[in-house]
Amino acid sequence: MTERFEPSILAFLCNWCSYAGADLAGTSRMQYPTNVKIIRVMCSGRVNPSFVLNAMQSGIDGVIIGGCHPGECHYNQGNYLTRRRITLLKLLLEYVGIDPRRVQMTWVSASEGGKFAEVMKKVTEEIRKLGPIQQIKRSNEW
Amino acid sequence: MVEISQIQAEARKIFDTYDVQYILGYSNESFGIQPVPFFAKKKPDVNHLIFSPFCVNNLTMYLKNYEGNEKIGIVVKGCDSRSLIQLIIEKRIPRENLVIIGISCGGVIDQKKFQTKFPDVIGSVDVVEKDDLFIFTIAGKKHQVSKKEVLLEKCIHCEYPTPLLYDVLLGEKKQPFKSESYSDVKQIEAKSLQEKWNFWEKQFSRCIRCYACRNICPVCFCKECSAEQLNPQWLRRSVTISENTVWHLTRALHVAGRCTGCGECERVCPMSIPLMLLNKKMLKEVKDLFEYTPGISVDAKPLLAAYKPDDPEDCII
Repeated sequence: MTERFEPSILAFLCNWCSYAGADLAGTSRMQYPTNVKIIRVMCSGRVNPSFVLNAMQSGIDGVIIGGCHPGECHYNQGNYLTRRRITLLKLLLEYVGIDPRRVQMTWVSASEGGKFAEVMKKVTEEIRKLGPIQQIKRSNEW
Repeated sequence: MVEISQIQAEARKIFDTYDVQYILGYSNESFGIQPVPFFAKKKPDVNHLIFSPFCVNNLTMYLKNYEGNEKIGIVVKGCDSRSLIQLIIEKRIPRENLVIIGISCGGVIDQKKFQTKFPDVIGSVDVVEKDDLFIFTIAGKKHQVSKKEVLLEKCIHCEYPTPLLYDVLLGEKKQPFKSESYSDVKQIEAKSLQEKWNFWEKQFSRCIRCYACRNICPVCFCKECSAEQLNPQWLRRSVTISENTVWHLTRALHVAGRCTGCGECERVCPMSIPLMLLNKKMLKEVKDLFEYTPGISVDAKPLLAAYKPDDPEDCII
């Protein structure tokens, strides 16, 4: 019997929209995969590409970054800035041969609990198919 | 081709008219073929200043830690002037504190290529530029070499041979050699994911993490680099494929939209890792996606500190 691969997925969610969306999904009793671990950030613009790369080194198979819809950022421009950054990060990852689908970005507002659960399901399935990350995972302790 | 006397005359004029702390240029007073960076601090020092197609160094590197309020004179080629513009955009050095001698450059010589052609040469070499030729005088003998054979890779695709920012321009304004086609980047893009990783794994595993690429880079000027930060420690010290890959990805992303493609990182890399392939990829994407070319105008905003509401959104789900 082969065991099903359970990916570990990290979600950086912005305090004002996506995190509240996740909260809504929870309070509305919506089911989404338990593979997703959430880190709350004050704004999606806080997410430095180093966070994503460091997560992958530590054995995280996929990263999701959730922010407010364009034009609705609590800090006016944070999600626009991170959009440029993550676009470049994904292109660079693809260029060196790491599947860019391991980094995903999504806009979820505070009222979109359903969308949040849907996106998490979709991404988990996608990463499950990709399998564990091999290229840049740390192999040693130090 | 720029005469040495022209440079020296301009430098003397600068010492006469401005109260400059020093003039950054090149001098031939070292062993070896390549001229070295030279700081002319007094007027008599000017006699050491030279310029030849062997002057490869990007001198703007010495301005990245600029502090204080002194005026500084600097000799720049076309590519260096773009780094200088980038430093001005990022408020490293105010424009009014600079006196810039621009040199219309016909390309500089790759020392590695030159030495494979003339392995016995050790001292400095006289060189004359003539259209598409270099004429070297080695031990009294003249050698004609086509420019393409000895030029640095970046010069073959140089789009800005004339400086974009200068106070005095030496030499005539030049037309670009050939526009950048990014053919080497496209070659890698055409490979499959596994092939790409195989290629880069081979390159990155050679890295010894000496950080020469960072130290030479004119736009890498953080006081504390994330590579050496201990708390939080983003990058461990061990030289493994994981840490090496992440270092190079971090570096490429950090200079994305700021790197002007001067090619110094690749030139100084002791392990000959093709770093420009990473930088050029970023340059290409930044141009395609955001219609942005770094180091063109002093009024531009830094790429990653600005946005357009209608930036491409293909990566959003």
